[in-house]
Amino acid sequence: MSSALEFKHLSKSYGSKIALNDLTVSFPAGQITGLIGPNGAGKSTLLKAIVGLVKPQQGSIGIFGQRAHWKSNSEIAYLPDRAKWYKSHTIKQALTYALNILPGFDLPRALEMANLMCLDLDVLVSTLSEGQEARLHIILCLARRVKLVLLDEPFSGIDLLSRETIIQLLINSMLDQPQTILISSHEIHEAESLFEHVVFLNKGQLVLEGNAEALRQEKGSIESIYRGLFR
Amino acid sequence: MDSIQVGNFKFQLDLSKPLYEQVLQHIRQAIARGDVLLGTKLPSVRDLAQQLKLNPNTVMRAYQELDRDHLTETRRGQGTFITSDSETVEQVKKALAREAVIAFVSSMKNLGINRSTTESLLKEVTWHE
Repeated sequence: MSSALEFKHLSKSYGSKIALNDLTVSFPAGQITGLIGPNGAGKSTLLKAIVGLVKPQQGSIGIFGQRAHWKSNSEIAYLPDRAKWYKSHTIKQALTYALNILPGFDLPRALEMANLMCLDLDVLVSTLSEGQEARLHIILCLARRVKLVLLDEPFSGIDLLSRETIIQLLINSMLDQPQTILISSHEIHEAESLFEHVVFLNKGQLVLEGNAEALRQEKGSIESIYRGLFR
Repeated sequence: MDSIQVGNFKFQLDLSKPLYEQVLQHIRQAIARGDVLLGTKLPSVRDLAQQLKLNPNTVMRAYQELDRDHLTETRRGQGTFITSDSETVEQVKKALAREAVIAFVSSMKNLGINRSTTESLLKEVTWHE
């Protein structure tokens, strides 16, 4: 299995607070990987480092065999932890604007996704509930024809129905185009049946990683492994 | 997890065991038991993945395994169909029964129970049809 991402000896600290501590780990290509750990484990920092929003003090990042570079961002769809969009846009305007700024954005596909996720195109972003806004942001990522998708906590703080529609969209997306998808989460139950590979982080270090099915065979559900590791 | 009906198949998945094996097992047993007619179409990978909230690769892997056992046949652009060959189904059914017997025998051995005791226990057991 070839790697989509390879981190070697990655370290990052914010002042005296260590976010990534000499982390060496890789993520398989063409799979959904769950990046799991409690708050402060370094998940967000790791995702930010991939797209260059965080500069590690040490170590290297390889993306599909190339050293990470601002140019690699055109092949990456990144959903930040607290994503925001222009409040004065309607959803239709947001999607049209995305077509102009996001490389590989497929507008017809985005409109289809909005329909599937029950988003009214004429509604203003400012009037959306958190769940609806989360749906919009996931569309902005998944409607792009890119090789790598990074989703930082896509399920946190949103309603059950929105979580389920996001899962539905992820499944369709996997079928429509081969992609490498990273989902960081500390709420695992929702998505664990989607994970093919799992990486557990704690305090900026690798705790455990492996094929999800192999881990289930050896140790039980991903959620129970998480409990065992971080209790 | 609750049991979920998809087409003619009923699934009950346990997240603490490999999911691909469970999907495979459910379909294989339904065919062996005769719950589904020979020649019937299986749910599409998309449908099954959506209903069970599974990674489509997990479903595809199970379907490939069924194809390999000749229990199903995937026709390009049409979908995956259960074999119409009752002989194949019979063979798979026997193989599954043999596996179940081997597991049963080994749990008897683990209890320190020998063959003749096992056989007489089997005769005593009430067998609800």
